[in-house]
Amino acid sequence: MPLEILLIMVIGGVSAVAAILHLSGRSEQTVLSVEDARAEWHRHFPDDVILQVLIAENGHAALVQTEGGTGLLWAFGADTVARHLIDFDVFETGTGLRLEFHDFGTPGVSLSLAPHERADWQQMMIPS
Amino acid sequence: MSDPISYPDVTQYAVPFFIAAILAEFLWIAIKGRGGRYETRDALTSLIMGAGSVAAGILLGFIAWAFFMVLWQLTPLDMGTSIWAVLVCFVLDDLRYYWVHRFGHRVRWVWASHVNHHSSQHYNLTTALRQTWTGTFTFMMVVRAPLVLLGFHPALVLFVGGLNLIYQFWIHTEAIGKMPRWFEAVMNTPSHHRAHHGRNPRYLDCNYAGVFIIWDRIFGTFVPEQENDRVDYGLVHNIGTFNPLRVAFHEWVGIFRDMTQPGLTLKQRLLYALAPPGYSHDGSRDTSETIKAKYLARNPQDRGTPGFEQPADPT
Repeated sequence: MPLEILLIMVIGGVSAVAAILHLSGRSEQTVLSVEDARAEWHRHFPDDVILQVLIAENGHAALVQTEGGTGLLWAFGADTVARHLIDFDVFETGTGLRLEFHDFGTPGVSLSLAPHERADWQQMMIPS
Repeated sequence: MSDPISYPDVTQYAVPFFIAAILAEFLWIAIKGRGGRYETRDALTSLIMGAGSVAAGILLGFIAWAFFMVLWQLTPLDMGTSIWAVLVCFVLDDLRYYWVHRFGHRVRWVWASHVNHHSSQHYNLTTALRQTWTGTFTFMMVVRAPLVLLGFHPALVLFVGGLNLIYQFWIHTEAIGKMPRWFEAVMNTPSHHRAHHGRNPRYLDCNYAGVFIIWDRIFGTFVPEQENDRVDYGLVHNIGTFNPLRVAFHEWVGIFRDMTQPGLTLKQRLLYALAPPGYSHDGSRDTSETIKAKYLARNPQDRGTPGFEQPADPT
């Protein structure tokens, strides 16, 4: 197949699929309740004993206190990703906090937090 | 033996069909309200990975081709290009696929290439196209060597390999439940392959088949999808990026970082590349065997059920 035809088909096809999905509402981030966050955390870390869950005001992230320490669960498109907060850096941003994990596959996450949430979250993220 | 033989690159010709089928699956899900999930960035990442895989094949395919042509010059055998030769080559190549795929889950060096295919938490037709960019660097081309040495022309071997990949496209869907029993017994199906993509302890390291599920039945790796254990798609430790470059290379970076830690013996460094995923020199990580063992400690009633009948996979 001529390369230019292949390129047109691939670029056109990928763009069409992405546009249709976005316009039909498939770009929404998942919103977590406390129960959702507990279930999602156990999906990622089934051995953990959860002590407490704190949901961000916008519902896109949760701080999870476990017997082993603190963890962060956050919306990843329609799904979630979770990490124990062990090896990370945290920075304040204009809209909340930015965490960097020193992990090529999960480089970091930007959390949108209300101004009154930021200090509490940062305090609770201190490694145990 | 020196006659030029060529076959079409079927995976490239299948591109319009892939796009049409993805749109059809999405419409089916949207209209019926069941049969799977789509998410924009996840699907876009999968499609870009697919395009990148085709590009990698165009750029690096000459390496495998040169290797096969050297073998073709060496072999005294020539199976020809009859329909029977094509059929036998297709079946033997599927056996080749089974073992390459099994190595892809049990040898971290090969897993580093294959992991991106499992990195989506979704399971739809775009997931089928989330293919590797780095397959050449696994050297799994050597598993195809016996086919060429048996007298199957390299062009034929690559042609049936392309057909094998195209077959596997349609099984990446939740829109199809189960096929007729005879079909489920012999062929790889959406149900069997859903189990393969599961991160549930039960489904780790099962159903490696490409086209014929009989290889899993023969070699003891078959686990049927269970109604009471819904498949949870993705990786044991799901990645947190939609960036195709990070998806393609994250496990290679992980291998490099692990192998270059200070204070390891040479054997430990090699095991970080060659042992099953999850190996660690200090036992701080979980392999699929320890994940299954921990699950059974929490759920002893599941011991002996599909996926939990056997001791650890020795490969």
